[in-house]
Amino acid sequence: MSSSDTRSDPPAGSAPGQDALGQNLSDQGAAAPARPAARQGELALFAPPAAADEMLAPARMINEWVYCPRLAVLEWGRGEWAGNADTAAGRRAHKATETGAAPALPEPDALPDDRALKTRRLLLASERLGLTAELDVIEADDGRVVPVDIKTGKRPHVAEGAYLPERVQVCVQALLLREAGYTCEEAALWFADSRERVRVELTDELIATALGAASDLRLTVAAGRLPPPLDHSQKCVRCSLLPICLPDEVNWFRKGAIARTPPPAATPALPLYVQTPGARVTKKDFTLVVQVEGEADRAVALDEVSELVLAGPVSLTTPAVHELLRRDVPVAWMSSGFWYLGSTGGQGPRSATVRTAQYALAADEPRRLAFARELVAAKIRNSRTILRRNWRGEDGERGPLLDRLALLADRTARAETAAALLGLEGEAAALYFRALPKLFTDAVAALPAFAFERRNRRPPADPVNACLSLIYAVLTRTFSSAISVAGLDPWKGVYHAERPGRPALALDLIEPFRPVLADSAVLMALNNGELAPDDFVSAAGGCNLKPKARRALIAAYERRLDQETTHPAFGYQVSMRRLIQIQARLFARFVCGEIPRYPHYVPR
Amino acid sequence: MARRSNAEHAYVVAYDISDPKRWRRVFKTMKGYGRWLQLSVFHCRLDGGRRAEMASALEDLIDRDADHVIILDLGPAEDVEFAVESLGKSFQPIERRAVVI
Ligand code: SF4
Repeated sequence: MSSSDTRSDPPAGSAPGQDALGQNLSDQGAAAPARPAARQGELALFAPPAAADEMLAPARMINEWVYCPRLAVLEWGRGEWAGNADTAAGRRAHKATETGAAPALPEPDALPDDRALKTRRLLLASERLGLTAELDVIEADDGRVVPVDIKTGKRPHVAEGAYLPERVQVCVQALLLREAGYTCEEAALWFADSRERVRVELTDELIATALGAASDLRLTVAAGRLPPPLDHSQKCVRCSLLPICLPDEVNWFRKGAIARTPPPAATPALPLYVQTPGARVTKKDFTLVVQVEGEADRAVALDEVSELVLAGPVSLTTPAVHELLRRDVPVAWMSSGFWYLGSTGGQGPRSATVRTAQYALAADEPRRLAFARELVAAKIRNSRTILRRNWRGEDGERGPLLDRLALLADRTARAETAAALLGLEGEAAALYFRALPKLFTDAVAALPAFAFERRNRRPPADPVNACLSLIYAVLTRTFSSAISVAGLDPWKGVYHAERPGRPALALDLIEPFRPVLADSAVLMALNNGELAPDDFVSAAGGCNLKPKARRALIAAYERRLDQETTHPAFGYQVSMRRLIQIQARLFARFVCGEIPRYPHYVPR
Repeated sequence: MARRSNAEHAYVVAYDISDPKRWRRVFKTMKGYGRWLQLSVFHCRLDGGRRAEMASALEDLIDRDADHVIILDLGPAEDVEFAVESLGKSFQPIERRAVVI
């Protein structure tokens, strides 16, 4: 049915994990009933009954709150969701139990008291309790009912028969049945893998825990609070929201401790680019099929597409759009020149919390300037790094140039205005681009077609500028998507002023990545001989890549994204592709005030 | 039992389906998960989640009494070359690369 059913399973067959998990859970179990007393002295301070437009807390979310309060708020309060292997296994196990008839449950006073009766999938809700639940199985016998919740995995070997989150969840179901007038004296859990049933006793303590958790969850969400992440908990390793929540990274700011492992990539899917004029993209069964005249059709599994990028006159059928929307895969629309026009779908979490905070940040001048200073410094440092690493020119020229850039980067800290920052940025860019040809191999430097004097655009005047423009456009798109998926608005910037048609936030966040990701991809393609002078066409004062060359350059950029790098703040290895997703999520955490600053990507 | 990790493994999926209509449906479904290798044999590269989804999709399609699907795990996707000997035509491991058309 859903993620939560499996997320709180103990780690299968791993004794240390199981211990740690059991430990954590029993800690919470002991703390929760004592909570009202500790806070109030005598009376529990429960959330009031749900008002008309307020959401009722689902029993599943009470389970998650007990597992990790942050998880419940991210999912229920912020509309975040992510799947992993466990959630997929959970859905599979659930489906297997979903067969058979589902007779309606009779009214409490009409329950037959002489025979057992089973029903399935019953929705219950109570405004007084502020709770709702979807019940897997209800058994009725002798005038009483027993809710049975189906779990994947094996029964854990703990004294209570099951972990607290699961017991609390089914306890909520029992309370809702009682509220509906049924006599319910016990509940049960069914563990599908070991085919074992565990009886859950509805003790006063369990009921107090369940009601306390429900009330805490509703109050927290109503107050717009996001609980802090767990600290080095085994639970995070199994949690499907790990890539969104970033517990280690957020805690890093509090404690300076090194993060353990990078959050896993959400899926192995990759972008699919279609830029051949006249190409047609259709959906067939579980694949996208790209048809290009004179070429064999190419089928790409839908699951393997993280994003569909369409540049220029390429068509996409409505059934394909619908399927992509259903899967939350964004379609990025770009002009033939790779100008970002906008996206369809892939809008990220179903909530505006992050965007609201983003607008507040953009309106806060001092915070805005502080961010911009670090941004420009990071960009200058990264361009310096590219020069330092790839220098092929005279040794004597290198030192003074690097010193000059370091000085400019330092001076950003004292810039009083955005205009002053722009000045520093411009000066550094001029130095950097003047030195760029010093990074070409002799073979490339010898080609007059690849002469590069200075950066120009709209339209780019020569092949190297054409390559840079193309890759910057593609980089902007990569970030626009990552930003949207993290719940941010790509059109509202912090450093870049917004102008129509300009994804200002994407332009902000790509600044430090221009040298290390985009420029280095262009250098890679040029120096490897992947692009030749006749790969370009010049017309009307502008220079452009031929379609085949464009394909080669984008492929080089995507290869660069797959290269691993060390995150300078957190110390772990990740692909650049994953890094960008992490940075977008971190920016969202920064915007919401959860971390004090945004750790820019500044590699050594 | 499904793997619990999210790392990608390579798989060979072979099926024996007694009814042509179901065979067709299994074939179409498998195209969403891997490459067609030989008659009724697919080569896939999947993470734990997609592995579970594939099994679940196949479970829904087949007749448990008449059909048989076998999912063979060849281990981590990056090392699969060492796990396969191919005679006649060559066997290409599936690489994960962005597609640019
Ligand atoms: S990753 Fe850890 S802290 Fe974050 S929601 Fe999941 S369990 Fe909670």
